[in-house]
Amino acid sequence: MARMSVKMAGAAALISVLGALSAPAMAQYPDRPVKMIVPWAAGGDTDNIFRPFAVELQKHIGQPVVIANVGGASGTTGAREAKAAAADGYTLYAVHDYIHLTFYAGISDVKYSDFEPICLVAATPSVLTASSKTPWKNWAELAEDAKKRPGEITVGATLGSTSHIFPAMIEKAANLKFKFVSYDGLAPRMNALLGGHINLTDSNLTQKGKVEAGLLRYIAIASEKRDPESPDVPTLKELGMNIVYEVARGVMVPKGTPAPVRAKLEEGCAKAVKEPSFAQAMKLQGTRVAYLNATDYAKFLAKIDGENKVVMTDLGLIKK
Amino acid sequence: MLDLLWSGLVNVAQWKYLLPLFAGTFIGVIGGSLPGVTITMTVIVVLPFTYGLDPLAGLAAMTGVYVGGSTGGLIACCLLGIPGSPASIATTFDGFPMARNGEPGRAIWLGVWASVWGGLLGALFLVFLTGPLAAIALEFGPWEYFSLFVLAMAMVAGLAEASLLKGLISTAIGLLITVIGHDPIGSVPRFTFGSGFIGGGFPFLPVLIGIFAFAQIMTDLEKLNLPGGQATPSLAGIKLERFSHLKVNLEIFRQPFQLAWATIVGLIIGILPAIGGSASSVMAYDQAKKFSKTPERFGKGHPEGIIASEASNNANVSGSLMTIMAFGIPGDAVTAVMLGAMTIHGIQSGPLFISQNPDIAYGIYAAYILAHPCMLLICLALMPLMLRVTSVRMAVLAPVVLVLCIVGAYALNNTMQSVYVLLLFGVVGYGLVKLGFPLAPLILGLILGDQIEINLVRAIMTDANPWLFLTRPISGGLLLAAAGSVALAVWQHLRHQNRVAEETPDF
Amino acid sequence: MSIGRDGIAGLVLLAISLVLLVKSFQLPSLAIVPVGPGFYPAIVLAFMAAASALLVLQDLLKRRPTAVADAPAAPPRNYRLVVIAFAIVGGYIALLPLLGFRLATVLFVGTLQAALGWPQTARQWLVLAAIALGTGLVSYVVFERYLMVLLPRGAWTGF
Repeated sequence: MARMSVKMAGAAALISVLGALSAPAMAQYPDRPVKMIVPWAAGGDTDNIFRPFAVELQKHIGQPVVIANVGGASGTTGAREAKAAAADGYTLYAVHDYIHLTFYAGISDVKYSDFEPICLVAATPSVLTASSKTPWKNWAELAEDAKKRPGEITVGATLGSTSHIFPAMIEKAANLKFKFVSYDGLAPRMNALLGGHINLTDSNLTQKGKVEAGLLRYIAIASEKRDPESPDVPTLKELGMNIVYEVARGVMVPKGTPAPVRAKLEEGCAKAVKEPSFAQAMKLQGTRVAYLNATDYAKFLAKIDGENKVVMTDLGLIKK
Repeated sequence: MLDLLWSGLVNVAQWKYLLPLFAGTFIGVIGGSLPGVTITMTVIVVLPFTYGLDPLAGLAAMTGVYVGGSTGGLIACCLLGIPGSPASIATTFDGFPMARNGEPGRAIWLGVWASVWGGLLGALFLVFLTGPLAAIALEFGPWEYFSLFVLAMAMVAGLAEASLLKGLISTAIGLLITVIGHDPIGSVPRFTFGSGFIGGGFPFLPVLIGIFAFAQIMTDLEKLNLPGGQATPSLAGIKLERFSHLKVNLEIFRQPFQLAWATIVGLIIGILPAIGGSASSVMAYDQAKKFSKTPERFGKGHPEGIIASEASNNANVSGSLMTIMAFGIPGDAVTAVMLGAMTIHGIQSGPLFISQNPDIAYGIYAAYILAHPCMLLICLALMPLMLRVTSVRMAVLAPVVLVLCIVGAYALNNTMQSVYVLLLFGVVGYGLVKLGFPLAPLILGLILGDQIEINLVRAIMTDANPWLFLTRPISGGLLLAAAGSVALAVWQHLRHQNRVAEETPDF
Repeated sequence: MSIGRDGIAGLVLLAISLVLLVKSFQLPSLAIVPVGPGFYPAIVLAFMAAASALLVLQDLLKRRPTAVADAPAAPPRNYRLVVIAFAIVGGYIALLPLLGFRLATVLFVGTLQAALGWPQTARQWLVLAAIALGTGLVSYVVFERYLMVLLPRGAWTGF
């Protein structure tokens, strides 16, 4: 009997303290930290863009924005996780164009339309980059050599992702044939390019230091105009190819997130991208701030999705 | 160069850099010592602070985390039998048995001092040979990587204890685990049987922690609360022995060649991107066993095992710092975050980094060097407290350690998926131990599985000629070494079997 | 000839590797990759199948001492406790996303402690509760506040 009461007392103590641990009911959104899923590892390009963004965003929504790197399976693990998250505005999804590609390549079932757009944040123009161990000084020499040796020039790429699509678009526009080799992520591609194990790859202006040191050559940039920081790099348009290819990064939330919550986030986002410190951070990332509000971002996503579907079909990579 | 290094040291010795360095090292040691809290996670914690700071202060803090974390892992290895961080896996093999034999202090201090010496030796290479050594990394194409991994696999033969065959099967199981899920080239789902859970694949960290933590804790629980109650679970009740730092250091320097070789192995693995501290720890351990006069004592609390593993994982840090210094290419997640911090401050990484920013480059060197005495001080201060773990009852220790492991697995990807993987492999790991399959080869298979496949396919995609694996000099040399390694292991194994009569397993 | 524990383990592994080997040949390949996704797994699985078959063979050929007069009795093992511990961990992991990290952890640490060593006195119960609460609170604060890891919130409790 005595032992029984000891147990009871213990249980009662446990329960009462458990009760004390629980917090009062929900208040105005956001009343606790917000998680932002970045579907790639820490230190990658996407991570480097959204970490400064999160710092600005939390100033304007009044709660910490915590980056959660959910890497793996070409970014689709993070996409699945974001889709499955509660639609309460406490899970944001930092996304880029890969979401369209992985869907059409049949890698994942998650589509851009499984989410509500909040805003477009930044766009990073792709740059066709050659190893210094190749003889080509410019596009004309590269194109001439590639014509002579179809299917022999190696291009490092994450298969079915932006780094694959971009060179493939050039391939089509210039009527060339490259040989693609699987290299997931910019860091391994740079390593292979420096060592001359691949000839070409897609990179961006963050690699400028290696170009200045003569280890890499920028062949062409896929933006509308030349970049003021790297004025020597010609655009693909100047070279006669109608290709503008920028990796567009934005924020989305799971479908069904209440409209007031979305409005709050959109407002915070609009203010965050206007911060001068954010502009400075993006400049260092070889990226331009490219804000679009939710409505325009939705249109943009629909347009990009259609374009990607066409490209994937042309390349024979489409599964759906 | 020496004057640059000297001014770097003087520069970092100022409070505004020394304080972040010390704080970083402290956080690193703590983070490293908690199973499940990775160095990557710890370094990300430091990242936000670096935005506002002077860039060198932030980088010094990160270097401190890196060095502290690589050492801190050994504490959990020795006291719990669970690696505190993947980079110290092999320390578990001898550190824990030594602690169980009643010498937890000796085990830990052997590790800490080996870390200090291995790290400082690595610093010599870092300061004077960064350029030429980092250039080696560029020579490694997919063929060379593939052959290197074959060599590493061949080393597994040296890690199998009782049965060579079971060691090979363990390796295969490790490799098989990495194959399940989406394939790394074209993301085709493999062996998923339509399940979303399996489709997510089995990431390295939860599998590792699951296998080690459960294999260790559950085998301890077997002996708990028995009517006879003779066995001592965990380290509870072991009286702390008296140990002397001088003796420990003499033990390390008695075999200078072993120390140097472990350092070089760690350094080389560090220079090559995408392999990491876990592989260098296991490979250096195996090398130590091969070169040892007493290989049969490995796995039973042999000091040489602890020294090799710990010297190599700290040297590994200096190796991975080399590639970001020389080329601005991060070799692992920690250096990737460091690179991100440089970019935020507008420091252009790449081959010109050292000549354009000598104050920062030599500041990082200095921070790396000074992190070691900091780490030693921190360990001196913390160790009496840490050793108290040995007096905690199993009934308290087990739940707390399991919570840590589970949170760590969750934090890896912020998903429950990793936690389920942890539990699944906890069961698998316990089962394998009970069936007498060695865990070390499995872990090596797990570390390298992905990379072997990726590099094999890359090589084939780049050039269909299979002879390139043999005709490229580095690749061919590595394959030759692999063949030699197998021969040596078989010879040692036979000699060992002749020497000791077959023991009946403890079951 | 009789089969031992190794033999059975070998047979199971052999079966698994053969099933997966068949599966590996059925994987679809991509036009752009010269070797399909089944290429490397097939090598690993063939290796594993061969090694497992050898293990079975080795076990069958091993000479077994036929029932030696009560060989030194194996030390007693508390397998019941292992099963209970696994079950409690399983329960914790299942409840984690439902109750939320804080509640589930306090419950788990309390329950597992009690299962491993049942408290006898009120004082021991208090210690148990304090450790359970302490672990839950400290790990929550450390991870959520300092390590920036947002731990699972409970689907049932919203906490």
